[in-house]
Amino acid sequence: MSTITYLLLQIVMIILLAPLVNGVIGKIKALTQKRTGAPVLQMYFDLHKLMQKSAVVSDVSSWIFRVTPYIVFGTAVVAAMLVPVSVRILPDSIPGDMIMLFYILALGRFFICLAALDTGSAFGGMGSSREVMISSLIEPSVIVVIFTLGLISKSTSVFIIMETMAQRGSSFIGPVTILLFLAMLMILIAETSRIPIDDPATHLELTMVHEAMILEYSGRHLALMEFGAVIKQMMLMTLMVNIFLPLESFVTVAGFPGVALSLLIYLGKMLVLTVIIALIEVNTVKVRFFSIPNLAALSFILAFLGFMQYFVLGRS
Amino acid sequence: MEHYLDLLSVLMLLSAIMLVSHKRIRSYIRTFRLQAILIAVIAGFMGFESLMTEGSIDILVICVIIIALKVVIIPMLLHKTFANVEDVVEKDFYLNIPILILMSCVLVVFSYFTLSGISGLASGHVNLQVVNAFSVILIGFFFMISRKKAIGQIIGYLVMENGIFVTAIFSTHGMPFIVDIGIFIDMITAVLIMGVMVVQINEKFDSININNLRNLRG
Repeated sequence: MSTITYLLLQIVMIILLAPLVNGVIGKIKALTQKRTGAPVLQMYFDLHKLMQKSAVVSDVSSWIFRVTPYIVFGTAVVAAMLVPVSVRILPDSIPGDMIMLFYILALGRFFICLAALDTGSAFGGMGSSREVMISSLIEPSVIVVIFTLGLISKSTSVFIIMETMAQRGSSFIGPVTILLFLAMLMILIAETSRIPIDDPATHLELTMVHEAMILEYSGRHLALMEFGAVIKQMMLMTLMVNIFLPLESFVTVAGFPGVALSLLIYLGKMLVLTVIIALIEVNTVKVRFFSIPNLAALSFILAFLGFMQYFVLGRS
Repeated sequence: MEHYLDLLSVLMLLSAIMLVSHKRIRSYIRTFRLQAILIAVIAGFMGFESLMTEGSIDILVICVIIIALKVVIIPMLLHKTFANVEDVVEKDFYLNIPILILMSCVLVVFSYFTLSGISGLASGHVNLQVVNAFSVILIGFFFMISRKKAIGQIIGYLVMENGIFVTAIFSTHGMPFIVDIGIFIDMITAVLIMGVMVVQINEKFDSININNLRNLRG
């Protein structure tokens, strides 16, 4: 399979599956609370409905407000293209750098923050100030995780990192891996605005962060914003499962059955991570905003200890 | 085998750092219990190994004692003691929590540089495990001096003791049986006495903040 076909297939697959993750998380949460909950496909219906409505744009806003949804969606899609869903399917490596990946996402976030300030509403300013604080707190941990993975695989290319982790095979629950996994889990939660950091299901003035920033959007703009957010989440989860749960070595058959099997394994791993995230959401409460530095420091120290166990003490 | 011990020693260090980031008494006790379970697993691994190679069951017996004492009895005693103390959340620290967490990271680095100077430890798997276990001692001590309430200090003492036990078991693969038993008996006595003390302090001073102990009352 040529690289171009593969990339197209992958991006279509990620875009189509992304809203499903939220549906599954919502369903698990509902089941633990003895509710029936919304259908798993609810987010597709929502996006479809929003796409058909016209967008309301404030008179006082500038071009930034109108262009941001496309930038957010675009950066999420480009970032998702850099992350292979499975290293076994590809004939050769695809370009894509971990550092670039995270800063492409940062571009999208930068524009969300600008757009939130653009309309001049009080919530937008508050939301973007909080978002910037959270992202700058979590950034040291992101950097240390990237560089530790880079040291392990002697490269910052996403593909090579995943391949190295897949070749390590049986030692994938070593100390370094588990520390980096936990650090990355916190990064994932912070980046996707999930419960201990931010509550995606509320519009309460005092607590909302991500919701406050997209409060002024409506219609297809809102749909693009939400779609971009779920694609970003799907991308980060793909990155995580392929780095920390490398099961590709079990696929020995080549050709079409091999591809199908790899994709099945990928979906299974995603389901496992989705369940983990849902269980975290069920079992924790949203922390006070000024307690977020504690979580960020914890994430940083997990990453740093992982770095130290690998680089200074030489254990994998 | 060594691979799992590596992992367990890191998890143990992690539980100590988690403890530093908590500020509720129930979470203190829960994390302490988690750490005790990890120690029991470590002792179980070691004991199984020594049963296979030398045929001695000393460490397995110690593992059972740890489960009975640290996983069941001491958390129960602590719950009982803290039931009649009012504060369930520690509100003030000498430093804020992110700084405490970063300081415990510094302690890990410090213990690495201290231990790497000791000959015999710097090679093989022992190195990593002893560094992690020794860091637990230091973090327990640091936890003790960073909390203002007597409860934090009791937990810090217990964590320090856990660290000492694990350092000993990692560096010697099992101390003499009588020494371990002696330490455990000391520890349970200490917890009992400190429990009584906390209740007394709380009655006399209406608070368990140790800063109040400096004031004369009359």
